[in-house]
Amino acid sequence: MASTQPMLTKFESKSSRAKGIAFHPKRPWILVSLHSSTIQLWDYRMGTLIDRFEEHDGPVRGVDFHKTQPLFVSGGDDYKIKVWSYQTRRCLFTLNGHLDYVRTVFFHHELPWILSASDDQTIRIWNWQNRSLICTMTGHNHYAMCAQFHPKEDLIVSASLDQSVRVWDISGLRKKHSAPTSVSFEDQMARANQNQADMFGNTDAVVKFVLEGHDRGVNWVAFHPTLPLIVSAGDDRLVKLWRMSETKAWEVDTCRGHFQNASACLFHPHQDLILSVGEDKTIRVWDLNKRTSVQSFKRENDRFWVIAAHPEINLFAAGHDNGVMVFKLERERPASAVHQNQLFFITKDKHVRSYDFQKNVESPSMLSLKKLGSAWTPPRTLSYNPAERSVLVTTPADSGSYELVNLPKDASGAVEPTNVLRGNGNAAVFVARNRFAVFNQTNQQIDIKDLTNSTTKTIKPPHGTTDMVYGGPGCLLLVTATHVYQYDIQQKKQLAELAVAGVKYVVWSGDGLHAALLSKHNVTIVNKALEQVSTLHETIRIKSATWDDAGVLLYSTLNHIKYTLMNGDNGIVRTLEHTFYLVRVKGRSVYCLDRAAKPKVLTIDPTEYRFKLALVKRHYDEMLNIIKTSSLVGQSIISYLQKKGYPEIALQFVQDPQTRFELAVECGNLDVAVEMAKQLDRPKLWQRLSTEALAHGNHQIVEMTYQKLRNFDKLSFLYLTTGDQEKLQRMAKIAEHRGDMTSRFQNALYLSDVQNRIDMFKEVDQYPLAYLTAKAHGLDDQCQEILEASGMTEDQVNLPKLGKPVQPPQTIVPTHNANWPTKSAGASSFEKALMADGDETIAPEANGYGEEDLLADEEAPQNGFAAEDGEDDDAAAGWDMGDDAIPDAEAEDFVDVGAETSGGAGSSEADLWTRNSPLAADHAAAGSFDSAMNLLNRQIGAVNFAPLEERFLEIYAASRTFLPANPGMPPLINFIRRTVDETDSRKILPLIPRDLESIQAIELTTGKNAMKANKLDEGLPHFRRALHYLMVNAVSSPSQVSEAQAAIHTAAQYIIAMSVELERRKIVGGSADISGLDEAKRKRALALSAYFTVPEMEAQHQTLALFSAMNFASRNKQLGTALGFANALIEKGTNVKFKETARKTKATAERSPTDALDIEFDSFNQFDLCAASFTPIYAGDASVACPFDGSKFLPEWKGKVCKVCGVCEVGKVGSGLRLRV
Amino acid sequence: MDPFSSDGELVNIHTAFIQSQYTSVLNDFNTSDFSSSNHLPVQVLQYRAQCALGQYDEVIGSISDSNAKSTPDLAAVRTYASYLRTGSAGAVKEAERLAEQHAENLTIQLLCSTILARSGNNEAALTLLSKHQGSLDAVALIIQIHLLSNRPDLAAKEAQSARSFAQDALLVNLAEAWVGMRKGGEEYQKAFYVFEELAQNPSSASAWSLVAQGVSELHLGRTEEANAAIESALGLEEGNADALANLVVLEKVVGRDGAEALSRLQKVDKEHEVLRGMDEKREAFKTACEKYNPKF
Repeated sequence: MASTQPMLTKFESKSSRAKGIAFHPKRPWILVSLHSSTIQLWDYRMGTLIDRFEEHDGPVRGVDFHKTQPLFVSGGDDYKIKVWSYQTRRCLFTLNGHLDYVRTVFFHHELPWILSASDDQTIRIWNWQNRSLICTMTGHNHYAMCAQFHPKEDLIVSASLDQSVRVWDISGLRKKHSAPTSVSFEDQMARANQNQADMFGNTDAVVKFVLEGHDRGVNWVAFHPTLPLIVSAGDDRLVKLWRMSETKAWEVDTCRGHFQNASACLFHPHQDLILSVGEDKTIRVWDLNKRTSVQSFKRENDRFWVIAAHPEINLFAAGHDNGVMVFKLERERPASAVHQNQLFFITKDKHVRSYDFQKNVESPSMLSLKKLGSAWTPPRTLSYNPAERSVLVTTPADSGSYELVNLPKDASGAVEPTNVLRGNGNAAVFVARNRFAVFNQTNQQIDIKDLTNSTTKTIKPPHGTTDMVYGGPGCLLLVTATHVYQYDIQQKKQLAELAVAGVKYVVWSGDGLHAALLSKHNVTIVNKALEQVSTLHETIRIKSATWDDAGVLLYSTLNHIKYTLMNGDNGIVRTLEHTFYLVRVKGRSVYCLDRAAKPKVLTIDPTEYRFKLALVKRHYDEMLNIIKTSSLVGQSIISYLQKKGYPEIALQFVQDPQTRFELAVECGNLDVAVEMAKQLDRPKLWQRLSTEALAHGNHQIVEMTYQKLRNFDKLSFLYLTTGDQEKLQRMAKIAEHRGDMTSRFQNALYLSDVQNRIDMFKEVDQYPLAYLTAKAHGLDDQCQEILEASGMTEDQVNLPKLGKPVQPPQTIVPTHNANWPTKSAGASSFEKALMADGDETIAPEANGYGEEDLLADEEAPQNGFAAEDGEDDDAAAGWDMGDDAIPDAEAEDFVDVGAETSGGAGSSEADLWTRNSPLAADHAAAGSFDSAMNLLNRQIGAVNFAPLEERFLEIYAASRTFLPANPGMPPLINFIRRTVDETDSRKILPLIPRDLESIQAIELTTGKNAMKANKLDEGLPHFRRALHYLMVNAVSSPSQVSEAQAAIHTAAQYIIAMSVELERRKIVGGSADISGLDEAKRKRALALSAYFTVPEMEAQHQTLALFSAMNFASRNKQLGTALGFANALIEKGTNVKFKETARKTKATAERSPTDALDIEFDSFNQFDLCAASFTPIYAGDASVACPFDGSKFLPEWKGKVCKVCGVCEVGKVGSGLRLRV
Repeated sequence: MDPFSSDGELVNIHTAFIQSQYTSVLNDFNTSDFSSSNHLPVQVLQYRAQCALGQYDEVIGSISDSNAKSTPDLAAVRTYASYLRTGSAGAVKEAERLAEQHAENLTIQLLCSTILARSGNNEAALTLLSKHQGSLDAVALIIQIHLLSNRPDLAAKEAQSARSFAQDALLVNLAEAWVGMRKGGEEYQKAFYVFEELAQNPSSASAWSLVAQGVSELHLGRTEEANAAIESALGLEEGNADALANLVVLEKVVGRDGAEALSRLQKVDKEHEVLRGMDEKREAFKTACEKYNPKF
């Protein structure tokens, strides 16, 4: 069946019409000869034009690479055949002789021959070594369109517009040219008349068969690489298959399909396929055995003229009106899966095999998947299920399908699978031992299936999902064009998404913590929560990747194996000749599959990335080891180290003194810098060194550099500052010696050597100054001498006022003996370790020291953190400190757990709960009722716990499950947590049944419904229960805390309201008319009726209360009060009918708004109701409250149990109910 | 070498046993089908299956004194059965004696350590079990004892070392799942997969595995699924005490009172942990209440 699939195009060029194409046998090059007289040389892998050759005049139709030499040949419409060197990029020579267009040119695979076909109806063979024509084959009586050598035998096949295909035998020619025996006269004669018939009328090339069958001209013809088959394409739009034996040749069959002239055709180099192209703009692929069309690709506008096949790899090139396209027929990436030490993969002949990484052996075929998909479509993916030992294979054939097959126990050859389960889907992957997911792109659906292939769950992937891969335990990664989504199958929800475009493959690390998302040019490393760790870009195609055990990703591009560390540092590991698909790295071995799906082991040198990894992870001893044992050199590693801020380590790699000096200065290693400066001895370096050393406070080096630089001034000053009198004196001497007066003067000043200065002034004839100096220092005889020498008297000298002579400070501490405290830089611990190592003093100490040093660095923050943790712990222990006393014994118990090493029982999780939480509910769950009560007592003054008994036991019972394990043993008790995802023992907390939401939904709602239905005695217990549930509970957020508080308040208010009304009903006994009762009771009943309206209730319930109070009041002549209620009802009421009644009542009442009895109720005065006595508590009156529900009581109720909640002690001050940890 | 390893002929009956398919252990396997060297292990497994089904008297009755004397394995079985029946101190003594005499015998290790552990002597049980020679049953028991004494760290260590020599054996998976159930977090889900795989496969399903699946789902907060699993466990085995016990828990978790499940459990196993725990706690509650003197 023909299918039209998107073409796997690898390269496309745009140019004028391409007439001839040739693949380089080894390099990724293609030659294209164009109608415009140009020959192009492309690198189709990189997509670059390497060269252009332009010497032909007019279209170039034929072109061919030499198999081994750096040569190619071309033939064009200028009748010329040119042989070129692509190394020197020149045409080496031209073969002239054809009398018309040259259609094709081909090299012989071993002899130095070129075969050409021309419109002059001849086919010629040329020797390109001696550049001569050796044979001319005549016989075609129209243009010879194509002629090719047989790949092995001495045969030529040619096609012509005379509608025939001819097979020529050239064994005679070969004999003549390859047997350099004694040359007879006849031979010489023959050679002289090479292209003539010999004296018996035979030629060197004889027509063996003439194949007639095309009824139009034949454009192309080709031999099969191994079988005695010929394929030809003609203007009759047919592709014909011919077979030949020793003695005859015949037509086998015809491939019909092209609807325009067929221009070229060839046999697939290693599959039973024929490829043909035509002017109908199609490339067609035919099954060689059935002669049916397998695939066809159509171009919109371009007619195809030529097709060529790469001799080895699965690549083809077709030339058309506007250029060339390089494509492959099938994906070559072998489907494979790695499980532990085994690789499972599918070979080219669709056999499932495995490869053992430990033994390095390939298994024999285990299974044949011949029947999977269509014959010419290789499977796309393989997913392995170790538990079931089955594989899940997908193929793009039939618009995507999968098969689930069990592998046989042992590999015994390619057996046909039994029990194959099939289905449609574009991707399929195992997600659990007994589940796999199937993704169907057309209906955008993922089915989770069990091993019987029945769907257990269906998932809708995000819009535009194109692929699905394994996404960690229980998860899938769903790939769209722009994003990757992580989807949890169990929870049926999306966990994370990441914007990465065009992801094609996902590779998980061995530990499942990281994954690499590969797209065409990018690698994105993510962690298991799909958070991006790093990303990198490659200019050429990324083919595959695999993880090193140490967390380094190795990936292969078209021509390299590269690595990348988690931090994004990457580099090249080795180059590749061919494309490889990496599957595993182990030590120095990289396991991979090649394009033929054969396992290969490549050796790599992991030193560089191991070194970098060690550097990143600060494993200094490992680095040391690497430095010592391997020859890691090169500019890249040095610049890497420098860039990363490790000049001292880079220093270890450098020999070049200049670089060493620079690095040493950078890392402050002055010793090395001095050493290098001495070697180089350049003033500039000394200069830099002096500055650097000065900054370090290393004045000994500074001294040396100044000496080297002969910088006397600075030297003197240095000696002055370091107090080195002795050297200063020497400097003075030197100055004297040098005759440098300034310097001498300066040194004399530094030394306070007055005599020397006077002498100096005298020497330079500065007598006034000399006199002045002497005078200032009170050296009168000297003054006298000077005066005498200058012939003056004292009175002639007019002196300014002299101060006391200044003395330079005396040296107190001989700082010149040792350096100042130098900058701490110096040798890093790493270097120390290295140096100690070099000294052959054994490393451990040094290493230990080095490590310690480094660890100290790293640990410092950790320690800090630990300390913080400690504080946290303290804080935890101190929860509600002061008012709640968690038994100390438990705390000790907890501490013990940590200290225990082996043996003895640990503390149960329940104990942890009591440590982790200040919530009574959590303590109840832990079974620690004692502390739970204690907490409630401290928090809300709970004293009467009897109503909470069921609640406590319910929480306790809901806290632990019973997991049966070994027969005969008691079940394992596990503790149900509300913190399901938590594993930190300090944060785990128990599940508390009946959460806030359910209490609101059930108890509060039922209670309110009872209110509405006027079943108050039924409603009351619901609200009470709600209070008890809320009292011992846990919520998760601050907003829920306030919600819970609101719920408590509501329940309490309803309880009060209902109790008031029930009390009233008790008095009146249900009748509305109370005239029969005594006055006190009447008063009380009327008051209670009014109080019913006081508690805060929902508006509709408030309406009920008002309505009932209004009616009761008006019925009993309390018109004043009734009027108040009527007004309130009209204002706030929610019921239209009630409002109507209210208006009427109002009208009646307004006529005489007075009360028959005076009751204690003032609707204009705000008051609270005592929840026990149901009497008003006005603002400012003394009252006490329940610490839990906040209901108010008259002071006399202090110390008693709250009537509302029934648990807490009224008037007790608590710290407040904790509902949240 | 563990005779129950995957290549031995005992593998099927042993797998059935650890999957708690006790009736299958008794009905689908015949001692005579096994090679003579395996007769005893098969018989022991079948006796243990009978014990697990509560047929203690039959077991005790079918082992004569002379048999018990000549074969320590059978003596252990008899002691085991009588301990499970009455929990007598005599059986514990006998177990201690056997453990001393035949410490190298796997059956003795397994059964006597069970008795010892149940009688509260975890130390002795662990000492006895530590003599095992690569037996996964022993490992599973060790892990359970560690877990029962709240030492998931030691249990995890044990499971890890078992994983290293037995790889993906069912018991190792189960033991890891038990440990995982204690650890929580992601481990819940993993444990769930292990239990689910057993429970959902018709060939390995049993009330026991369904209960385990239900429990793991309960921990994962998937109460509806947990309910389904436990109900189907009860469908397989109406009076499964563990299923009922967990049903009680489940009812409480979802906020129902679970009285019906409780009374069913009471009928089946008066001594079950849940009931005992509840009674104890009720007492504890009363005692704790006494500290307070509410005034009304």
